[in-house]
Amino acid sequence: MKKNFLGLIVFVLMILSLAGCSKGNGNEVVESKESEVNEESEKVLTMAIGSEPDQGFDPVYGWGRYGSPLIQSTLVETNVDMEIVNDLATSYNITEDGLTWTFNLRQDAYFTDGEQVTAHDVVFTYENAKASNSIVDLTIMDSIVAIDDFTVEFKLVKPESTFIYSIAKTGIVPEHKYDDTYGDNPIGSGPFKFVQWDKGQQLILEANEEYYGKVPEIKKVVILFMTEDAAMVAAKTGQLDVAMTVPSLTTVEFEGMTLLNTDTVDNRGITLPVVPNEGLTTKEGYQIGNDVTSDISIRKALSYGLNREQMVEDVLNGYGKPAYTECDNMPWFNEESIVNYDLDKAKGILDEAGWIDANNDGIREKANLNAEFTIIYAAGDSVRQGLALNASEQAKELGISIQVEGLSWDEIDKRMFRDAVLMGWGDQTPMETYLLYNTSNKGVDYYNPENYSNVIVDNYMEEALTTTDSDKANELWKKAQWDGTTGTSTLGDAPWVWLVNIDHLYYIKDSLDVGEQKIHPHGHAWPLVSNLRDWKWIK
Amino acid sequence: MKIFNYIMNNFIKMIVLIILVCIVTFTLAVNSPIDPIRQYVGSGVTLSVEQRESIEEYWGLNDTKLERFQKWAYNIMHGDFGESLIYRKSVMSVIKDKAMSSLFLMICTFIVSGAVGYLLGLIMGKYRDSILDKILKTICVTFSATPTFWVGILMLMIFSVKLNLFPIGFSIPIGKTMEDVNFYEKVYHAILPIITLTLVFIPNIALHTRSKTIDVLQSDFVLFATARGEKSIMINHVIKNTVIPAITIQFGSFSEIFGGSVLAENVFSYPGLGSTIVDAGLGGDIPLLLGITIIIAIFVFIGNFIADMLCMAMNPMVREENIIG
Repeated sequence: MKKNFLGLIVFVLMILSLAGCSKGNGNEVVESKESEVNEESEKVLTMAIGSEPDQGFDPVYGWGRYGSPLIQSTLVETNVDMEIVNDLATSYNITEDGLTWTFNLRQDAYFTDGEQVTAHDVVFTYENAKASNSIVDLTIMDSIVAIDDFTVEFKLVKPESTFIYSIAKTGIVPEHKYDDTYGDNPIGSGPFKFVQWDKGQQLILEANEEYYGKVPEIKKVVILFMTEDAAMVAAKTGQLDVAMTVPSLTTVEFEGMTLLNTDTVDNRGITLPVVPNEGLTTKEGYQIGNDVTSDISIRKALSYGLNREQMVEDVLNGYGKPAYTECDNMPWFNEESIVNYDLDKAKGILDEAGWIDANNDGIREKANLNAEFTIIYAAGDSVRQGLALNASEQAKELGISIQVEGLSWDEIDKRMFRDAVLMGWGDQTPMETYLLYNTSNKGVDYYNPENYSNVIVDNYMEEALTTTDSDKANELWKKAQWDGTTGTSTLGDAPWVWLVNIDHLYYIKDSLDVGEQKIHPHGHAWPLVSNLRDWKWIK
Repeated sequence: MKIFNYIMNNFIKMIVLIILVCIVTFTLAVNSPIDPIRQYVGSGVTLSVEQRESIEEYWGLNDTKLERFQKWAYNIMHGDFGESLIYRKSVMSVIKDKAMSSLFLMICTFIVSGAVGYLLGLIMGKYRDSILDKILKTICVTFSATPTFWVGILMLMIFSVKLNLFPIGFSIPIGKTMEDVNFYEKVYHAILPIITLTLVFIPNIALHTRSKTIDVLQSDFVLFATARGEKSIMINHVIKNTVIPAITIQFGSFSEIFGGSVLAENVFSYPGLGSTIVDAGLGGDIPLLLGITIIIAIFVFIGNFIADMLCMAMNPMVREENIIG
């Protein structure tokens, strides 16, 4: 009896080990194939850079707006210095009133199925994108028509000079080959050709040999979609050429790989209510105003009195830069916004404004009001939490007491009109500046919860939107930050105390040259590959 | 005829169950504080207020909750599961895309953990209190208390990184186009996730079977059989009495296996339904969330139903009870 039963177990174990053996054979086969791939991998680029677009690789639904659509082409694009250069368009013209935009298209651009790219494809793309109810915001576009096969005319609802940046992000899809499965199997006229997409796993691209521009040197690209931890595991086995990472994982060293940190405009800062509490509420009933932060001396003192370099060291492990605006180093950045860390100056500002610590409890008072307020941050984000806590610590030296609270976004939505919030922005267009500081947005949404309103700034921004000269526009955006008398920067009204720009971190194989990187916007992964067609292997 | 009535009865029960599940899920999802638009748009994307409102309109957020449920229920009755707001495709096609590999993983886990767990349970019960039993029991209890993803990461670190025996994840080799992938590679990639899930689910059925085995071995009729010198007590008595509870438990833990597969999929970057339903839930994508929930509810119900049918097939007493009584 016992023997029979034992026999049964032994039998089962034998079967399992047989299965193990045959898997072993499969294992060898795969291993040798992998080493083949490794030899060839000089030509195949493997990257792990985060998450795939849920709607597929379809520009109509927003694919390619972070970086470059790779598979499709855009009418214009931004170069390394964030200047607008032509891509599908050979030239463009904007009328004086800023309402009619005409683009002339090149005639040597073809989709990878051989069909030529024409104005009709452009019209098709923009009309569908407008109707798609996605993150592609074309509300400013009134109409778009093809004047002839290679000329497109946009008509805007009102002048908006920043529209060109939106055009630079919109890939063009083929009218003749578009249906609702396009995102799973797209064709385009871009530098790379779509080969295969295994959802949730990998995207395979090949260089487009018929590309009208410079054909990429890297011929085959595999992009893997995995979590950061899984990417670290893969990097360890040497299978990745590029692996995206975060500061907390950078202590590991990988053989043959170096850590690259790119400059970004992925910023974090504190928005502080600029109006006092007068009993007003938003239309949903949320209280507006904060009696402490509405005092401009408090805000300016914080901006001068917080050591941003220290924050970068302590909170970001050195992987970041101090930030003084929402658009540091962009072409529309006013360098006068930069302030030096000056604790004495900060204290002086508070003293002059009447914030004195009369009772010696470490907190200044003015007219029976303690210099204390709360900074809220999105719970679960360790960087925001770190920055808020760091600010709170540093503020003690100024005699300001800051409470720090981590909440969920829907809670923040209710409290952001009366408390300071640690938020992050960073886009490659000055439209963001408009949305953040414009009077029409105050108290409405999370763009301007601090209720900031400055008519002079509004005027500069409106003018910047209506002007058709991009240099003039940049000057006007700069004036909005500081024109010598007033503005949105620390020198002016200081509604925001911007803190840091977070570097984006990637492990890159030593044999890979990823070219010069543009300043990355908010959003970690895809911006790295916007210049993928310039990458090459270093021999 | 009687058996037909039985099946019809169960079918009606299933429909009622699904309706209730839908109502509860919908109510919970719609009342959750998640702002789906914020999740969808992400941060740092500049959108005008107009566009935001247009998206809200598209997502149906401007209708009242009752209206939204009515619209959805009406569509479902016509077999239209609606369109996923995150994926912008029909819910059915999203589910079809993602379900295949999940299913493969889950069915393998189900069978392997069932078979091995049952055998282990029998062994532990028979050799109760021996060294073997003590060791196996400790292992079982340990694994049942261990989180799935931790076991997964452990497997990954040992077998993929240190020993380089298995791939680090995914369901097909990196960089290979679909036509080049063969069946063996698919199985090869599924092994670690299956082992992970199996290790975590074996204890459940093993420990249950163990206690049932002990019960049977202590019963009067087994005592009598031993006294008579019967040779194959295990096969004649124990198995016949323990296999039905084992099947019931195994089929009942179907939903747990599904939950476990979510975690395993995450660790191994294995594509599947588990991560999809998490995305749907966190993203406020109600059509997709409800679609998957219904499918799972149907599966669990069918699982239990099959368990019942098997029990009836194997045990005439149960058959009579269910159909006549």
